[in-house]
Amino acid sequence: MPEFLEIDDLSVTFTGQGREVQAVRNVSLKVRERESYGLVGESGSGKSTILRAICGLAPMSGGAIRIGGVPVPTPRGRAFSAQVQMVFQDPYASLHPRHTIDRTLSEPLAIHGLRGSDDRVIRALKDVGLPANFRFRYPHQLSGGQRQRVAIARALMLKPKIMLLDEPTSALDASVQAEVLNLLTSLRDEHGLTFLMVSHDLAVIDHMCDRILVMQNGAAVEELSREDLAAARMKTEYARSLFEASADRFMEQGLQG
Amino acid sequence: MTTLTAWLTDPNPKSRRQARLGQAWLAWLRLRRNPPAVSGALIVLVLLALAAFAPLFATHDPFVQNLSQRLLPPGTPGHWLGTDDFGRDIWSRIVYGARITLYIVTLVVVTAPVLGLLIGTIAGYFGGWVDLVLMRLTDIFLAFPRLILALALVAVLGPGIINAVLAIALTAWPPYARVARAETLTVRTSDYIAAVRLQGAGAGRIIWGHVVPMCLPSVIIRVTLDMAGVILIAAGLGFLGLGVQPPLPEWGLMIASGRKFLFEQWWVATMPGLAIFTVSLGFNLLGDGLRDVLDPRSESR
Repeated sequence: MPEFLEIDDLSVTFTGQGREVQAVRNVSLKVRERESYGLVGESGSGKSTILRAICGLAPMSGGAIRIGGVPVPTPRGRAFSAQVQMVFQDPYASLHPRHTIDRTLSEPLAIHGLRGSDDRVIRALKDVGLPANFRFRYPHQLSGGQRQRVAIARALMLKPKIMLLDEPTSALDASVQAEVLNLLTSLRDEHGLTFLMVSHDLAVIDHMCDRILVMQNGAAVEELSREDLAAARMKTEYARSLFEASADRFMEQGLQG
Repeated sequence: MTTLTAWLTDPNPKSRRQARLGQAWLAWLRLRRNPPAVSGALIVLVLLALAAFAPLFATHDPFVQNLSQRLLPPGTPGHWLGTDDFGRDIWSRIVYGARITLYIVTLVVVTAPVLGLLIGTIAGYFGGWVDLVLMRLTDIFLAFPRLILALALVAVLGPGIINAVLAIALTAWPPYARVARAETLTVRTSDYIAAVRLQGAGAGRIIWGHVVPMCLPSVIIRVTLDMAGVILIAAGLGFLGLGVQPPLPEWGLMIASGRKFLFEQWWVATMPGLAIFTVSLGFNLLGDGLRDVLDPRSESR
């Protein structure tokens, strides 16, 4: 399979109040088409910053990002947004509180001048398993899981190839987590999506991802395949400690699956 | 009627139009449950009616002078609010004055808050030197006492209604810009703005469609609170002879002309003063109610 999303030697540096903070240091990774790639690490390790840098929401200070071999433009532009979309961590913050679900879902169509927004909004709601009568509700009338489904539907409106998932389930409770993960998996098969997913929960990563990259303090530590993870074949001490920290839950999930 | 309300309150609207009308109906129900807001709305409605049908409500021509009937007290047959120093009927002048008051208020409301909102959201959204330039400009305007700046503008431009409105609008926008900028700063880094930016939206669409709706409630509250101030400044400019010119029946001007007889013929200044008081109160009450109505989150579930 060809490499689809390539990140080469990426560095992100934030400057503020005379201080420079290097959030990501020389990270390289390659995601194949239709693959699920996970980024793991403790908080502050720069996982989410990589996703934001891909979207142009964080300042790149070095390196290159290529999609299908073509470097992404700066500023990202509409062609990019039709290719890459993101689902944010907190569904309570990622939906506009004063827009109905209908407005939220039809906004990307309006931006790109696409027609038939009535049908497409109804279809999008159906795709993520929400009843059609949710269409004119406001976000405050939905539960966390339902909001996250709306956020996923919004990301799918432009029919992107790549979905960036920033801890899509960490703000949800356990029973809803599984539902949303299953929804994401089935949508990936249905739409032929490529996932780049951030999580600190190894159980979630194991459920979703084909390969993972362990990160620490903004740098890549180790890349592992799903098989390596299942057989506990970590080469570095940090990856092993991270694995052991969430081993209990991980084993539980493994036994059930 | 029942089918209409059923259609409006349908929890599962079939179309965007039905959903929008349903929201408006819910807003009306929220307003109706708030007695002070309803009384405020009534006062504003009465003002609108007085202005629209002034010839019907007025008992006399507001301009015709009759020196044999000057300074009649309230309760005189034919002049139930009395007459002023030129023998003009005060009630008729107040009724016609409602037109001028409404005209000034409307013009100020469509200019100052819109200007302030735009400047504040643009400054807050872009940040950097745009923010710096726009906010220092705002500070400069804020530093002047409002009435003094309005006076200076009118002195340069010449007296008249339009110039008075221009002067009021130019001095009234900075607080709105401040409020809008503060709201924008809390909103601009939120995920929903990042999401719409990621969808390829331009700055104009983001500011107008996504940032402004978040700033609107606090700006609207300020507008209705300032409404009384606007009427008073317009009256003040009229009082100083720099706004509306005699013999137009502007309320501030009427108070100014009654000043000479304040102790002997108190009604000449008091009646237009009561009109200003009532209308200011009406706008304040309405504004307070509007805040609850405009927030979809406050609705009962």
